[in-house]
Parts: sequence; structure tokens; C-alpha cells
Amino acid sequence: MNAAKPIVLAEDNPRDAELALAAMEEEHISDKVVLCHDGAEVLDYLYCRGQFKSRLKGNPAVIFLDLKMPKVNGLEVLRTIKADINLRPIPVVMLTSSREERDLAESYALGANAYVVKPVEFHKFLSAVKELGTFWGVINEPPPEGLRSAQPHS
Amino acid sequence: MACHLAMESATHQQSEPPTLVSGEVESRSDIGPDSTSSSNGRVSWFEKLTIEQRILAGFSLVFVGILVITAVSYHNTSIVLTNSRLDGRSHDLLQLLSTIDVAMNEAEDAHRRYLVTGETSYLESYKKVVQQKPTFATYLRELTRGSTEQEQRAGVLERMMEKQLNAESKAIDQFDRGGFRAVKKMAIEGAGRRELGAVHQLITDMDSDERQAMNRRMADSAEGTKNTIVLLGLGAFLQLVLLAWVYYLIRHDITERRRVAEELQRRGELLEAANKELEAFSYSVSHDLRAPLRHIDGYAALLRKTVEQSLSEKGARYLQTISDAAKQMGQLIDDLLVFSRMGRQEMLHTSVNLEQLINNILADLRLDLQGREISWTIAPLPEVKGDPAMLRQVFVNLLTNAIKFTGTRPKASIEIGVERPNSAEVVIFVRDNGVGFDMEYASKLFGVFQRLHRADEFEGTGIGLANVRRIVHRHGGRAWAEGAPDSGATFFIALPTRSHEP
Repeated sequence: MNAAKPIVLAEDNPRDAELALAAMEEEHISDKVVLCHDGAEVLDYLYCRGQFKSRLKGNPAVIFLDLKMPKVNGLEVLRTIKADINLRPIPVVMLTSSREERDLAESYALGANAYVVKPVEFHKFLSAVKELGTFWGVINEPPPEGLRSAQPHS
Repeated sequence: MACHLAMESATHQQSEPPTLVSGEVESRSDIGPDSTSSSNGRVSWFEKLTIEQRILAGFSLVFVGILVITAVSYHNTSIVLTNSRLDGRSHDLLQLLSTIDVAMNEAEDAHRRYLVTGETSYLESYKKVVQQKPTFATYLRELTRGSTEQEQRAGVLERMMEKQLNAESKAIDQFDRGGFRAVKKMAIEGAGRRELGAVHQLITDMDSDERQAMNRRMADSAEGTKNTIVLLGLGAFLQLVLLAWVYYLIRHDITERRRVAEELQRRGELLEAANKELEAFSYSVSHDLRAPLRHIDGYAALLRKTVEQSLSEKGARYLQTISDAAKQMGQLIDDLLVFSRMGRQEMLHTSVNLEQLINNILADLRLDLQGREISWTIAPLPEVKGDPAMLRQVFVNLLTNAIKFTGTRPKASIEIGVERPNSAEVVIFVRDNGVGFDMEYASKLFGVFQRLHRADEFEGTGIGLANVRRIVHRHGGRAWAEGAPDSGATFFIALPTRSHEP
């Protein structure tokens, strides 16, 4: 169990964020969620910069990443994460409206751990977010930190 | 990175006013290739010739010109050559005539001196001339051959020489027998004097005739040479003009072709830009249009949850309708995106085993078929050329349609068959005994979002057959349908047997 680790939700749309939080609330994991409103905030969080300067150190359990965000978009965030040897182990789930094949292909090519298309129907969206939150935030065992040498350098 | 770039360029395209692009295309098409011709009606027959024909005509004229010049020059030169050969002979003849003249004078002179003096050295001189005479005759005949008048004169001349020499020989004989006395008269007057005069006259005539002939020939040759030079000059000039014309034609053609190629490339770029714009548009539709729908459905659900206790039945129905409408629009957007993707996606051209394809589809549809009784008749299906994923989409649509519209039948029957009307195409049909349709509306079947049934009768967005037609068209084939209300429908697709490269 990784109850202590936060879940980062990168979502620029406040309504989507509210709906996602509503879903997490049903699973009682909403208090673990750190909401970032664009890609830059996600990177600030990960590198403990800006408003996250004084946060507790440590990587999140999972990052839910929207593709289309202002300032730094989801793919750019993903690229940065997977290029950083400290951040690379963090599971990244793309949570997006886009069904475009090239987005899918590019996300996986950059090393996304999962790709979930936000369903239009709320109950499907609800169950998707619940399952994701439960699986990645609770069930899944995140990688241990400080094992830099164990990571193959690619 | 590629995606990022593509998106950036896509948004850049979007920022341009789209009317500007299409307007530019319009104005450009006005100065198309047809505006350069047709300005000169005077040479309309020439305008009709293709550039290849014009160049061929130009080169043919040059070729004919060279042939004519060569022939005429050869003719003229050979005349000049003949004349110069004849001139050589004339010179010989003139020489011979003067030699004969001198010799005959000599003979007359020598025989008279002999008659008077009896000196044998004079007789020797005379005899020498007599000996030379046959040689003279031979040369004369030879050098006058071909010219009738001179030939006749030469004959007369020969006889006269003969006569003269005979008369003189006779006198010498008489002198030898009877001495000076016997030939006194002859020795003073000369035995062949009369003939010598005739010989001299003949030689003069022949000489003057031959000189005249020579002059004529010389004038003739000069004229021929002059003509040849003029012809060569004129011909060279004409050919230069012709070659310049052909050069102009080729040059013009190359410029024209280059212009057309540039124009084509420009239009290709415009088309590519428009395509990118469309892609950006559908990307944006895919992403941005779905979000509000999700919010409508989401907040309707949240609202329902919040007010669940106090919600009336009517209120619950309204909320349900809001959700349903949002879901339906989501489905429409998805279908439209698939349709748009079918139109612009790169196509593969491989062999597709239809038999295998249909079996896979039927296996995938197995879950949907639970609780249905359908008798399938599937003919052996051929291999066709095309894009496997797209063709799969075609048959998924046709088969799900057949399954859907036979839903009201207690016992449905669906047949998949093949027809080969000719060698150029293969026709595959899907026939069902479902609700069918009125042929009056057959043209509407394949339109986007066109439905022949009410939404509460059969579900669906009306995009399936539009996709079928689009895909079949991209394969170079045709799609059509036959049917009647309540007695089933048959959907046909004809695919070319040879791979269709767009």
C-alpha cells in the first residue's frame, strides 16, 4: 500500500477537475489528489519549485496527465519526466479526450504507462477515474526512491 | 516532438483566414493554361497541333530543305564538272587543228620546193606529214565525237587532207618520172593548193565553232555556280530561320511545362495546407467538443445525486434526457471523426483475404448475436486488393446493418455472395431478409447522417453506409443497394480486380 503518496492530477479544465475529484471522493482518495492546472505546475510540483517549494519531498504515486493544457502540454511534460532519471519511474497515465492515433502512438513512444480516453458518459468516466485512482493510487506499489543506480541508463 | 511540431503548424494554419486561401485558388485558376492560347484565331489550325507535331513539322521542313539543296547543288556541280572535262577536250581539239593546219601548209610547201629543187630533204619533210596524217585523223575523230556538226566537218577535213596529199603525191610521182618539165605548171601553182585552201577554211570554221561552244559552256558553268551559291545562301538562311523557330517552340514548351509544374506544386502545397487545417480542425473537434458534453452528462449526474430525494419523476426524466442527448452527440462526434479519418487516412494496397476478414468479423460480433436466430449463407470469397482495416470497416458496417435490420424477424437470414460481371471488377453483396427500404430513397442511403428509419425503431447515427461508400470509392469501386419495404435489402460493393492507385 502507498497511502502516503499523493496523486497528481494535471487538468486545466475546472469542470473536468471537479468531476474527477467527485469520482475520487466516492473512493475516499480525493484528499490525496494534488491538482495542477497546467503542465508548468506539474513540473513545478515534481521539481519542488514555485508554489510547491516547501512541499514534502518525494515523488507522487501516479500522475494523471491531460494532453491539451496551457503553457506546457501533456506530451512535453511526459517527455521531461521520462528524460529525468529521478522522475522516470513515476507511473504516468494519459487521461485525455483525444482518440487521435498519433497522440496515442506518441504517448506510448515517450513512455506513458497507460492511455485512457475520457468517456463522454459520466458513469463511464466515473468508473474509469475511480478504477484508475484506486489502482494507481492505492493498489499499485510505486517504485522505491533513491535507487538511481538500479535504473538502467538509456 | 513530431506531434508538437505538427500541432504548432496546424494551429498556425488555423490562424489564417480560410477564405483567403480558397480565394487565391479561384483567382489563380483564371489565368489557367487556356488563357495563353486562343488569342490568335488566324492560325487556329496551327494552334491545334501539339508541341510534338510542331517540332516534328519544323524538323521535317529543315530536312526537306537540306535534301533539296543537296540535290540541286549536286546537279549544278556535276554540270560544271562535265563542262570542264569538255573544255579540256576542246583545248586539245584546238591544238590539234592548229597542228594540222601547220602540217598541211608544211606538206604543200615542202612538196613544191621538192618539185622545184629536187632536194630530197624537202621530200622527207613531205613524207613526214603523210605519215602523221592517219594519227591526225584518229585524234580528230576522237576529239569531235559527240558533236555532230564538228564530226561531219572532221570527216570532210580528213577527206580534203587526203585529197591534198594524193594530189601532191601524184605530182611527186610525175616529177620522179618526167622531171621538172613534167610538173612545171604544178610546181608553180601547187598541186593541192585548192584543197589546202579548203582545209584551211574548214579548220578555221571548226576552230571558231569550238571556241563558241567553249564560251557557251563557260557562261553555263558560271551561271550554274552562281545559282548554287545563291541557293546555298538562301537555304542556309531559311534553315537558320526554321531552326530558330523550332528552338523557340521547344524553349516555349519548356517554359510552359515549368510554369505548369510550378503551378501544380503550388496547388499541391495549398491542398496540403488545407488538409492540415482540416486535420487540426478534426483534432480540435475530437478534443474540445467532447469536453462540454462530458460536463453536461457529468453535472446532470451530480445534480441527480444531489437532489435524488426530492426529485420528481418528471424531473428525473428531464435529467435523463439531458444525459441521453449528450451521449448521442458524443456518438455523432465519434462517428464523424471516423468518417473524416476514412477520407484522409493513408491507404495500404495489399492482398486482403475476404473470407478470413468476414470470419474474423463474425467472431467479433458473436456476443451481439446472442439470442438471435440467423441462418448464414456465405459463398467462397475471393482475395481483393486494398486496405485491410478499411475493408474491415466496410464489412463490419454492412454486417451489423444486416443484423440490426433483421432484428424484428423471428428467423433472420443473411447471405454474403460474389458476382463477377466482368474481368475488371468483383462484386460482393450482403443480402438480408430484414425490414428493407423503399427504392425511392435509395440515393439517400449512403449520405452522411441519413437515416431511413426513426431513431426509436433502430439505433444508429447514420454514418455507417457513408463510410462504406467513401472507403469503396477510395478503392476505385462502387457501392449501391437494392431493396423493397419489408422484403429485405441487398448491399453491393464492386471492387476493381486490379489495385487502384489514387
